[in-house]
Amino acid sequence: MYGVFVLYPLGQSVQFSFYEWDGIGPATPAGLDNWRAIFTEPELLGSVIHAFVLIFFYTVLPVGLGLVAASLIRELRVGTFNTTARVVLFIPQVLPPVAAGIAWTWMFSTDGLVNQALGAVGLESLTRAWLGDFTFALPAVGVIGFWLSFGFCTVLLLSGIGKIDPSLYEAARLDGAGRVAEFFAVTLPGLRGEIAVCATIGTIAALASFDVVQIATQGGPGYQTMVPGVEIYRLTFLEQRIGQASALAVLLAALVLLVIWPIQRLGRHE
Amino acid sequence: MRTNNTLPRRSRRPSWPTALPVVLTALLASCGAPGAQSPLSDTPTSVSTSIGDAPVTLEVLVSTPDVALYEELGEAFQDKHPNVTVQVTGEDFNSLTTNVPRLISGTEVPDLVRLASFGNLVEDRLLTNLDPYAEAYGWTEWPQSQFASTRVDDDGRQRGTGHLYGAGPGFGLTGMYYNKSLAAQIGMTEPPATLDAFEESLEKAKDAGLLPLMVNGKDGGLAYPLQNLQMNYAGSTQVVQDWNYNKPGANIDTPALVDAATTLQSWSEEGYLPADVNSIDQTQAPARFAEGEGVFFPSGNWQAPTLQDAGGGEIGFFLFPPEETGDPFTAMTAPGVLAIPTKSSQSDVAAAFLDFIQTDTGARQSTLDLLGLPPAGPSDASLPDSEPGSLVSGTVESFQLLLESDGLVDFMSNSTASMHANTLIPQTQLLVAGKTSPAEFSAAVQKDYEDEAEK
Repeated sequence: MYGVFVLYPLGQSVQFSFYEWDGIGPATPAGLDNWRAIFTEPELLGSVIHAFVLIFFYTVLPVGLGLVAASLIRELRVGTFNTTARVVLFIPQVLPPVAAGIAWTWMFSTDGLVNQALGAVGLESLTRAWLGDFTFALPAVGVIGFWLSFGFCTVLLLSGIGKIDPSLYEAARLDGAGRVAEFFAVTLPGLRGEIAVCATIGTIAALASFDVVQIATQGGPGYQTMVPGVEIYRLTFLEQRIGQASALAVLLAALVLLVIWPIQRLGRHE
Repeated sequence: MRTNNTLPRRSRRPSWPTALPVVLTALLASCGAPGAQSPLSDTPTSVSTSIGDAPVTLEVLVSTPDVALYEELGEAFQDKHPNVTVQVTGEDFNSLTTNVPRLISGTEVPDLVRLASFGNLVEDRLLTNLDPYAEAYGWTEWPQSQFASTRVDDDGRQRGTGHLYGAGPGFGLTGMYYNKSLAAQIGMTEPPATLDAFEESLEKAKDAGLLPLMVNGKDGGLAYPLQNLQMNYAGSTQVVQDWNYNKPGANIDTPALVDAATTLQSWSEEGYLPADVNSIDQTQAPARFAEGEGVFFPSGNWQAPTLQDAGGGEIGFFLFPPEETGDPFTAMTAPGVLAIPTKSSQSDVAAAFLDFIQTDTGARQSTLDLLGLPPAGPSDASLPDSEPGSLVSGTVESFQLLLESDGLVDFMSNSTASMHANTLIPQTQLLVAGKTSPAEFSAAVQKDYEDEAEK
């Protein structure tokens, strides 16, 4: 089964990447042309770089803030507020990214919620069309990604905290550790596995991002938010360059493996 | 505590010596060049204008906003031919565009399909050559400029020449909408006759504290004024038309395009465009324009029925003004193309339907009423009615004016499959944001065009 549904298509993608093919007619061998193009067409290389920028928003921020949020929620007594906090944080996770993309497109628009909020606190000078701004479009897309993955990270980290032996916290307290010291001595090491899972999923989501970008910016303005996912989609369905799309897709898969490998090592290490 | 970590870790990792043969097998299994090896023939061997008496179902696949129109056309066709059932299916325009190659190369293909561009469909022999039908139905006697953009050469790439692969009920047409009461505020009582007069109006609007131009820069609205400016400065439509039709050696990187880009960029610098132009899409732009934001709005006649309702008679339409009074008008236009897939089993019925929607008086009226698209067809066909003085009638008159001055030009966006999404949208965004120079812009458009022509 694994061979038929995973390895065979993967093998085919590798094979297609050495052909020039429109998906229907006859294919002609293209040697390494498709691979060379990735590194010589600035647009393709730029999309890979943007994906790495997104890792910060999809991984670093949600894990960092998720740790803070989870530690704070842990201290709340179990009750309505605790449950509400978990539910509210987790809601973005059940929304399809396409819906999130549409909602955030409105929020980021010129008279959207973000600018209204800025205006309400007297920061009119900062208002702009966020997704149409050359400097802020990529971070704005990143914020959508952060919003999507933050809740998942927090809830996963919370359940991880629940599994840490309470006696460790008591011991830390008895040793006179403050909240911060306790966090670094008990919580952080105890959550190694959960952090690795969050980081892995976030990194894959960032490198393989497609839906949010396609909905919110379509790669624009200019080429500011072009990512490999959208590029692959366009190469395949718009330009019908299956070979070039396959080459980029294989490279993307390899990149994902390469990046999450050290994260996995880190998670396992005792 | 976490007892699972005491398990021997090695056993959970895939070991490469065992995984490698599996991967290799998978690779070997997929050997052999992909794709079809022997193309089909796309020219029907025998055609008939009779559709017989046997019950047949005609499957028509169009984009969602067009469904109402085609259902109405289908019913009218059924009234004439009771043995035919016209079944209309709608799909989102973007997914239709991206899925057409797979849809019509499969086993269950529609008999008529709405196309955005021909792509590789002609080269791959997926579309029926309509020449025999054009002959049989007498389309060859009609003004031929209406079929230019749907003719494709034997190489499958160059348009404007070769065999006919598509026809449609009506034509899209671009021009300039204007808000009559805002125009009155700046002393503009009738549409500007020349480009200079138009630019003066822009300046006056700016001085009056109004937004001069509403443009949907997010999805390509900037390309309309750009191409109009290019055609004005070039003094001829030949260069851009050859380029659109992929004539060998065509080159758009000319002084006219550089000048057009310079003007468009200066409009942005002068503050004639909305501050958030690059985030306005084609849904927001007409809505905001109808609410009174913007004196002018460059767009197409497909917006006319909506703007006529939403604007409450306040909105007018004119063709992009030429350099000098009396110079011919030019505009971008494209038919709403329907094509017959080679694999359709009902090509005779499909062709009869195509003839019907272009010639039947009621069908032509429906096309204008529902989509705002003026039909072409035979030169002696009667024009559909529209309320005199209305916005829609304004766009119809403009279309007639264009037909007379032979000013119908295809969209630069249609020159290659990715010109719109990968080049014109991002490059015009860079241009109005001042992130690229007019010369760089012009060179980039030509380079992307050549890159794709080579593929």
